[in-house]
Amino acid sequence: MSTAPSLLQTARALITRDVQLLWRRRGDALQPALFAMLVVVLFALGLGTAPQALSKVAPAVLWVAVLLAGLLSLDTLFRGDAEDGSLEQWILAPVPLAWLVLVRVLTHWATTALPLVLVTPLLGEMLHLPRSDLPMLLATLALGTPLLSLLGAVVAALTVGMRRSGILVALLALPLYVPVLVFGAGAVTASAQGLDASGALLWLAAGLLLSLLLAPLAAAAAIRIALT
Amino acid sequence: MSYLEYVIGAYAVFAAVLAWDFIAPRLQVRRELRAARLRVARDSRRNAAPTDLER
Amino acid sequence: MNPLVRWFHQLGSPPYFDRFAARWTPWCYLAALVLFGVGLWQALFVVPADYQQGDSFRILYIHVPSAWMSMFVFGLMAFYAAIALVWRIKLCEILAMACAPTGAAFTVITLATGSIWGKPMWGTWWDWDPRLTTELILLFLYLGVMGLYGAIDDRRSAARAAGLLAIVGVALLPVIRYSVVWWNSLHQGQTIRVFGESSMDDSMLLPLVLMVIATKFWFAGSLLARARADNLHREAGKAWVAKLASDGAAP
Repeated sequence: MSTAPSLLQTARALITRDVQLLWRRRGDALQPALFAMLVVVLFALGLGTAPQALSKVAPAVLWVAVLLAGLLSLDTLFRGDAEDGSLEQWILAPVPLAWLVLVRVLTHWATTALPLVLVTPLLGEMLHLPRSDLPMLLATLALGTPLLSLLGAVVAALTVGMRRSGILVALLALPLYVPVLVFGAGAVTASAQGLDASGALLWLAAGLLLSLLLAPLAAAAAIRIALT
Repeated sequence: MSYLEYVIGAYAVFAAVLAWDFIAPRLQVRRELRAARLRVARDSRRNAAPTDLER
Repeated sequence: MNPLVRWFHQLGSPPYFDRFAARWTPWCYLAALVLFGVGLWQALFVVPADYQQGDSFRILYIHVPSAWMSMFVFGLMAFYAAIALVWRIKLCEILAMACAPTGAAFTVITLATGSIWGKPMWGTWWDWDPRLTTELILLFLYLGVMGLYGAIDDRRSAARAAGLLAIVGVALLPVIRYSVVWWNSLHQGQTIRVFGESSMDDSMLLPLVLMVIATKFWFAGSLLARARADNLHREAGKAWVAKLASDGAAP
């Protein structure tokens, strides 16, 4: 009889560990949201504070702010475990590496991107986002941010050994992020113009489902490449 | 409208980029072979002149 | 053993590949130059000027083959990378990484010639046309693969990591292309940009075919040259490299 833990047991153990570690540094959880707010401030200062000018670009600016904040927070996805050797234990674990990656990415999303999405209405007010656009914006962010986390996880896994990988991670991840941004921000723009945005939402949903399946496998392969 | 400058410009870009594409690997191969020659020279000098430890 | 299979195995030997690449690179370049010569002469002097676009449409004869090469090379790079990842064949790692700079070069040519062609046509140097936008993102993907390959010290891990990135990129490329087309259709209201290649007379087709074949031969030459350089780099300390270098081999 196999003594390997079940997938669910492993998930629970990993989530508990991650949340405990994050709880000890719970101040850090605010940082992505603060960064997004700063991006919004910079855009408002750069564009001039006329409400019409801001509200026209608000959906796109908000999407870019959330995307960039998520990009910066990718650094913490695997770094801690890479530095203390836990990542090698992951490779040796009796549980599929892709499963561990998936659980880690979803925990990471819940603790870095989800607060961002919750803060978005506030940021929307700062940019005079029309109230009617907000539901669609939140829907695209809800579908898009986990997708960004999964794609970002592949890039983070590819660069996991490197010390000074900051800009390289961004350069590698942004081309992969383009379709998510286009469909996400484009859906909000389309619905603001009265057009049907359901095609874009379906693309985001389909992309999310595919990535839930494939991105952990790719990231697992990348981790093996990086650590052997 | 004279399109001459545009056509010349486009073909010039084509030629310049392909010229780089031709030259760069040749320089790399040359550099690798030169490094190998220097390594051979270094190794033969090291083998020809024994160090204090070996004397 | 089947001679073709044996030849494949022989190619995996670094000294054999070095001799093979050194021998065939000049011939590939020569074939390319001959075909370029005939094709460009046809494109510039024989084919009559376009009814709508005048002489500027002659840029098509370098823009379109370069665009096709930029896509083809990316796919080929991902193909070699997939073989390298699954079967761990060193030569395929080398070939995959050798594809990237030349592919990036063709992408740069596509972007530059597209921009130069667009200036008399649209009045601006840049337009977020779906094709140009996709080419720009393709350039970033190429540069990302090259950057990742250069950033990791161990050549084999570097090639496998960059190869994995290439595979992810090739899987996403159709999605990227579709998303940009969809996004472009959202912001209609401008006239649809057409590069005038929809209906081509047969007399206009010959130079295009010649240029397409020429770029393939050129790429083959560059691929072999760059692969040879990478092969020599990886095998740096080995005896056969030392012997090759001190025999005064021509580059």
